[in-house]
Amino acid sequence: MNKHELFKEKVLKWESSLVLLLLVEVLVFGLINPKFLIPRVLFGSINNFMTICIVSIFVTFVLITGGIDIQAGSIVGLTSIFIGVLWNDVGVNLYIACIFGLLLGVLCGALSGFFVAYTGVQPMVVTLGGSFLYSGLALIITNFSSTEAYKGISGFPQEFTQFVKGKIFGVIPNQLVIFIILVIFTYFLLHRTIYGREVFLCGVNKNAAEYSGVKTKMVIMSTYALSGLGAALAGILLTAYLGTAKTDLGKEITLPVITAVVLGGTSNLGGTGGVIGTALAALVIGILRFGLSMAGVNTQYLDIPVGVLLVISVAIRFAGSNPNIQKNLQKFKRRFSRKRKQIV
Amino acid sequence: MHKKHSIPRETTSVIFLILLFVGVGLINASFLTVDNIILSLNSSVIYTVVAIGIAFVIITGEIDVSVGATLGMTAAVCGSMVRDGNVGMGIFWALLLGLFIGLINGFGIAILRIPSIIMTLGTNGIVRGLIYVYTDGKWIENIPLKFKALSQVRLFGSFTWFYFLTLLAVVLMHLFMTKSQVGRYFKAVGDNPNGANLLGIPVSGTKIIAFMLSGLFAAIGGIMYVSRVGFITPIAGIGYEMKVIAACVLGGISLTGGVGSLMGATIGAAIMASISRVLVFLGFPSDYDNTITGILLIVIVVFDAVFQANLAEKMRRQRLAAKIVHTQSVALEEAPDHE
Repeated sequence: MNKHELFKEKVLKWESSLVLLLLVEVLVFGLINPKFLIPRVLFGSINNFMTICIVSIFVTFVLITGGIDIQAGSIVGLTSIFIGVLWNDVGVNLYIACIFGLLLGVLCGALSGFFVAYTGVQPMVVTLGGSFLYSGLALIITNFSSTEAYKGISGFPQEFTQFVKGKIFGVIPNQLVIFIILVIFTYFLLHRTIYGREVFLCGVNKNAAEYSGVKTKMVIMSTYALSGLGAALAGILLTAYLGTAKTDLGKEITLPVITAVVLGGTSNLGGTGGVIGTALAALVIGILRFGLSMAGVNTQYLDIPVGVLLVISVAIRFAGSNPNIQKNLQKFKRRFSRKRKQIV
Repeated sequence: MHKKHSIPRETTSVIFLILLFVGVGLINASFLTVDNIILSLNSSVIYTVVAIGIAFVIITGEIDVSVGATLGMTAAVCGSMVRDGNVGMGIFWALLLGLFIGLINGFGIAILRIPSIIMTLGTNGIVRGLIYVYTDGKWIENIPLKFKALSQVRLFGSFTWFYFLTLLAVVLMHLFMTKSQVGRYFKAVGDNPNGANLLGIPVSGTKIIAFMLSGLFAAIGGIMYVSRVGFITPIAGIGYEMKVIAACVLGGISLTGGVGSLMGATIGAAIMASISRVLVFLGFPSDYDNTITGILLIVIVVFDAVFQANLAEKMRRQRLAAKIVHTQSVALEEAPDHE
């Protein structure tokens, strides 16, 4: 029971403020542009940032262990072009190609995870190398295709693309359903299984985890593999949604993904965080971008409000919990009062 | 003690750079000519400039992923002013803007205690958006030929004076970092912030200065970009942050802070710039650029990590062995007294 209360206090507090933020956003954008509130439009917008949502819930695992993953975006592109080439030029069945794509994603993630866990190189460096490597591999794979790289591979069968574009009751997009299922799955994996507790323990104190019998190296490696899996899944869904397989599909999601994870309450130092927060934060960012563009803001300016949101929200969170800020404040006050005494 | 035994991390990078040139030179002899080496170094000038700035940040144990956007923004500001004929003003405002972005980053990280990756990711997005606001999404073209020609002026018929200037900056900054009191704060803060604080080193101030230097050098890179490239798109400088961080890492600067030097950063930048030229000389299409960069980065870093770990382990054993021998000898000497 006590554990449950602690969970409520620490995690749900931030998450409820995210829900509040989400509601405020919907309300404000609804007031600015009433079209925004039409369910078909509102839910339809989710399709546009599903990649970020899906990738970020898996990247959360990596950040909880105290690592960072900036290669997920390039795995999205690699998977996309990989299944495209397998299907179009090699002639493999599309669904089998998708399974191979998922395997490739896991493999790519696990490779980076191996280097992070077993050689002790900083995660940022390894995944930086990984992002170069996998985006480069994606370009090389296009050489095996008869189609020009910049055009992308298209012409996928109807049922493949229609499923992702489809809607339940004509309103809720299938992608949203998939996303919710993934959130529930990852929630149970992270918060309700022994594996999930081990992931947290690796982030809190790796040595303590090692001494209490957790195979920390395996656990850390597995989080990168999971993040690779998520990226591959997002790559397949995006390919189906757009109807084309291209190398540069996930090129610019690194920033929004990390933003979503951190805004969702996961510390980049590891040990704290959760999937629900990440999912909510990804929606907050997505709705913010969509709402602003509906309100008539140039889409190229949208990085500004997202950046401001990120910096301010994290500053507030750190100001509240960090004693250093209070120490600084006290120091400032003391200095100020000393000066006043001198003047007197 | 540690310093005496371990091999400087830059040596791995230097050996690698030499191997790269000699190895490729064996396959295609024209790669190992003086001309080509000079060309390779000349083409690394922007990477080098931005790398020395970011090296300060990384050595203090933080990270700055906003340099690409800073470079683009300062290039846009400088470019638009140079186009209108105000060269002096353009350079002045670009440098000021770089310092200002660095100051904001430093303020957020050192005073508000926002993790540096988050803060600079945020400013990266903001500044990138502001480039679109400033340029209205259009290209800045028609930079005067005179300004563009500046980047082509060569001293003694070899290096461009940009590169000489950069090397001068590297040497000065290296001396600043290793010889001056304030300069040595950076490594102290990166190695152990709490320890530095106890020694009376202004940790927050040092971090702010590091970020301002990073912004300043990104701005210098932006000015050079205007002159070298000659037109500025709104996506100018995108991806530079990753290439420059990779350059620092290749040059032996540790992302955990406290380890590395500006010389290393310079060598790393030279490696980064050489890789794309290597591909041309080996007859590969430029598609392989990223793959090779990624493989090299991982291989060098992993090799270095394993090597250093082995070295540390060996030294630890040596120390232990020495201690045992020492205590034994002490025990032997003391033994007769007890009798």
